[in-house]
Amino acid sequence: MATNLMRDPEDLRQKFYWFCLWPAFIVLIVVTLAPTIYLFVISFTPMDLTRPETSWDFSNPLGQYQIILEDKRLHNSWWVQAKLSFWSVLIQMIMGFMFALLLNVKSKVLEALRTVFLIPMVLPPIVVAIIWKVLYTPDISPFHWMAEGLGFVVPSLITDPTWALWAIIIADIWEWFPFVMLMILSALQMMPEEYIEAAKIDGANVWQMTWYVTMPYLKGVLIVAALFRIVDSIKAFPLIYILTDGGPGSLTEVTNYYSFMQAFNFSYLGYSSAITVTLVLATIFASWGIIRLVGWGKPID
Amino acid sequence: MLDGGSQLTETIYALRISNNKRLQRERIFLYIFVAFLVIAVMFPFIWILILSFKPSEDFFAWPPKVFFSPTFDHYLGLWEGEFPKSFWNSLVTSVGSTVIALLFGVPGAYALSRMAYKTGSRLSLFILASRMAPPIAFTIPYFLAYRYIGLHDTLFGLILIYLTFNLSLVIWLMRSFFDAIPRTLEEAAWIDGATMWQGFTKIILPMSGPGLAATAILCFLYSWNDFFFALILTRTEATTAPVAVVNFLDHEGWQWGKIAAGGTMVMMPVLVFSIAVRKFLISGMSAGAVKG
Repeated sequence: MATNLMRDPEDLRQKFYWFCLWPAFIVLIVVTLAPTIYLFVISFTPMDLTRPETSWDFSNPLGQYQIILEDKRLHNSWWVQAKLSFWSVLIQMIMGFMFALLLNVKSKVLEALRTVFLIPMVLPPIVVAIIWKVLYTPDISPFHWMAEGLGFVVPSLITDPTWALWAIIIADIWEWFPFVMLMILSALQMMPEEYIEAAKIDGANVWQMTWYVTMPYLKGVLIVAALFRIVDSIKAFPLIYILTDGGPGSLTEVTNYYSFMQAFNFSYLGYSSAITVTLVLATIFASWGIIRLVGWGKPID
Repeated sequence: MLDGGSQLTETIYALRISNNKRLQRERIFLYIFVAFLVIAVMFPFIWILILSFKPSEDFFAWPPKVFFSPTFDHYLGLWEGEFPKSFWNSLVTSVGSTVIALLFGVPGAYALSRMAYKTGSRLSLFILASRMAPPIAFTIPYFLAYRYIGLHDTLFGLILIYLTFNLSLVIWLMRSFFDAIPRTLEEAAWIDGATMWQGFTKIILPMSGPGLAATAILCFLYSWNDFFFALILTRTEATTAPVAVVNFLDHEGWQWGKIAAGGTMVMMPVLVFSIAVRKFLISGMSAGAVKG
């Protein structure tokens, strides 16, 4: 073996690496690529589980995509998704940034506290949803008790048409602002102290320092964190499933949720697949954006 | 307001660059402010813990009971029902999927780390996209296939679908751990007569222990936290703990005590493990995009 390595090392090495890579690659293809292709195939049929003859009916391959263009409820779901993603990501970015600045102090106490902020984002999403279900249910919610004690009558946010989406947004912010915070914090810790010193010497006040020194330094991290949050917000499911079930009406029905309902409540798997294909394409586009920005395994500078 | 904020920001920048004694008062002020924020952020989480020990008769009491004698009734109630079985199912599927993902993913990650840069970067889009795709994209084809081949409502079926995110997670994370180990180590072993496989298993793997542990825990957590796949691909036999907790909401008429206790049971392993791997959590969640 040793002599082999000496004789033609490079060739042998490449062979060995491919030998290590193949099993993983095959499993990855079987568990992810094959189902995705199958999803595309289903999307060209009007598959309806209650009507077996629709399963392999390719007579009108683009039929489901035509429905997409006409389905008002789907278009509403895009709009709901846009509002949910925009507000929750925007507020998470702002809160994450402020909390990161606050915790970026040389102090053992604050370093220990960072762990506490991990809790919302590592909790099982279903537990997060249950926590907020409790807080939004007037009978047992401490917030409603407090409001009542102060003499206000507050409607249950999750059944109130004006507030339902905001109820989801608030819960989503609570769950995910720590993610943005921790990403920014890890970037801040690598920020050279000379930057701050130099700005101080130049007579910058704190706002100028934040705006002209800290923000440009964090630009890369901020973009990546926002992209990750946007992609994840498209997947929002447990919060909506538990808190509002898409209601009242379809006011909190995001595209992912609508697709779920088409498939597993109405059993229109063909149409649901077509909607999901559009979601997958959006995801691939966003991932491609992230890779262009970050590079493959290279740290951000 | 602006003045207060300005003062605070000034303090933060000052504390960032010096350990000055003069700033003692500002430091204490900052601590109090942060402590207040921590309590505000933690409140929803603590509330569910409290509820899980609250006697059922006190739930709707008016005025609300802040002090009550804690009870284990809800936990005992869980223990007597179907919940232990679903907890066990969660454990089996999470561990099973983690082990399989490591078995296939670790050698693959090693190869990617040592191969030419180009190959890695071509695969990266595939790996990241499969991590980021909405779960429903996999659920529909798996649902149909499982009905056909009889994997619906089985633990193995769940283990298999958890590989969709776990395998790419293992490859992505372990690759960056292997990147940090210098190649000269295995090259030295080859010169001493070791085969390439020995170089990998005897030299490289033992050195990546912490990375392996962190990756395994992350895989476990992602599988454990899954709700969507288990909701759709199981019915009665393979129900996991998160689905079982939600069933208390749907079918058994709002048993808040059980819901809180079940929720607490589901989140406990997560809290313990997360604190163990807190350093790697961020890089794991952002799929290695930022190295913390």
